[in-house]
Amino acid sequence: MIGSRSKTIVIWTFVAIALILLSAPTIVVLGASFTAGNMITFPPQGLSVKWYGAILGASDLRQAFIRSLIVSAICTVVSIPVGTLAGIALAKYKVRFEKAIQIYLLLPFTIPLIGSGIGMMLVFGNMGVLGQLWPVGIACCVINLPFMIWAVTASASNLNEDLELAAANCGAPPLQRFLYITLPAVLPGVITGSLLMFILALNEFLVSLLLVDARSVTLPVQIYNSIRSIITPDLAAISVVFIVCAGIAITLLDRLVGLDIFLKSK
Amino acid sequence: MRNSRVAYPLTWRVMDMLENVCARIWPASLHRLLPYLMLLPAVVLVGLLVLGLFQIGDASLRVLDTSTFLFSEDYSLENYRQAITSGFFAVVASRSLMGSVIVTVITLLFALPYAYLMVRTQSSGLRKFLLVALFLPFFIGQVVRAYGWLIILGNQGMVNEALGLVGVPPVRLLYNYPAVLFGLIQYMLPFAVLMLAPALTAIPEELESAAGSLGANWVRTFRHIVLPLARPGLVGAGLVVMTLSLTDFAIPAILGGGSQDFIANAIYDQFFRTSNQGLGAALSLMLVAVGSIMVGVVFAVFGAGTLAMTGGRK
Repeated sequence: MIGSRSKTIVIWTFVAIALILLSAPTIVVLGASFTAGNMITFPPQGLSVKWYGAILGASDLRQAFIRSLIVSAICTVVSIPVGTLAGIALAKYKVRFEKAIQIYLLLPFTIPLIGSGIGMMLVFGNMGVLGQLWPVGIACCVINLPFMIWAVTASASNLNEDLELAAANCGAPPLQRFLYITLPAVLPGVITGSLLMFILALNEFLVSLLLVDARSVTLPVQIYNSIRSIITPDLAAISVVFIVCAGIAITLLDRLVGLDIFLKSK
Repeated sequence: MRNSRVAYPLTWRVMDMLENVCARIWPASLHRLLPYLMLLPAVVLVGLLVLGLFQIGDASLRVLDTSTFLFSEDYSLENYRQAITSGFFAVVASRSLMGSVIVTVITLLFALPYAYLMVRTQSSGLRKFLLVALFLPFFIGQVVRAYGWLIILGNQGMVNEALGLVGVPPVRLLYNYPAVLFGLIQYMLPFAVLMLAPALTAIPEELESAAGSLGANWVRTFRHIVLPLARPGLVGAGLVVMTLSLTDFAIPAILGGGSQDFIANAIYDQFFRTSNQGLGAALSLMLVAVGSIMVGVVFAVFGAGTLAMTGGRK
């Protein structure tokens, strides 16, 4: 950054406020989960890990977490082939009506989440599959699919047609060319996209809320339902699970592809 | 036997078999259709949404008979009339619209310096720190973040306890309009910064140096160089923030405590509290229409390249 002292001060003032705003809930939830008291108070009444023990024993929370993991897994497994193929198709080939297809594939972003959620609730309801977990996974996949396609197309600049022609020249048949040339080229995008899909599905709240019934609640819905009553530290402890998952996802993202890809101009 | 296997390994045999299967299923003569085949699964998945919209449309035209709690067989526009003329929904709609405008302005005000510092800083450590601070809340989800604000702002929350220590009586910080807007701004910041950052990266730093060497101070450089060049990013980020906050559910529900409902909460209540599916469906479709019109107007005025997501190529 270049410029005068006053510029540095002004920019940093805004950034500092933004940083506090961004981090305060995370830090507070982390702190509250280690309280020794039965209520969350300030200043905290000593340190303990007893609430972590409490959530380990709470089978409803554990099952909700497992259900969330299943939903995320379904979402990711479905989105990887679907998004990768669509991304490669859009980036590599001349497609007729490309603009229209792009706009169509962006529908999950332009339709408000409540609209998508209610629509899929009616669709799955008419199919009679509400209350199972796979519709929730599919729904999470649909609403976040543009992220996957975007991640793949963003890494498509690595696609080199000459390489594929060279491979073909050496006698590689189509499938081999796809597996050994095309796919590795977009692999960073696929990794970014699938991490995003997994973590966003793990956190997805509104669509889960609309698609689950009392026996199939996912963890965000479970937390939301418990928030209504009194604020107890066990919710903070279970929330830390999400913070840990987010931390793992960020670390993986940084190690595998580097967080800087989000700053690249296209 | 053994020799032949060495000469032609098993993996090659498997690959040959797969190639044959592929060629059988999709002969080379259909090569031109290949990209459409690759797009098909995505089109089908998104088709679920379109199907959902049609079902909402169908439901919105059926009127609830309050005596039998059955929906009418024939279509009418009664639900839409009710939604438009009802004072309650007008209040909710104007509350959401005004809220989303305020949230957009304040979010952009903070997101721009954040993205600017993140893109321009020389220190890669600082850049990584800013990125992590951005992604952590983005990846944690709304419910947990709103829960954090409950701990901080609640009646027995940290702020009030701290005020109590210096003798100030508790202030009601939650369950009001500012609390909802505050929560929304926090929720939207990562989206805005992530959409602004590529736009700022695209501005060459030399332009700013040039303006500086011609005598412009940093405020003028910012106004006449950075802001105009970042306009596509600002418009895109503003659009995303506005539609997302207009249609948000969790933050108004948790931080508003039922008294500060936004449109999405009103729709949810129609489906799950009053069980008037038709009216809820009509409201949903109207919200979808408002969202699409907003996107359409921005596309028409600023060009379709605004949403960085569409591009990807070049």
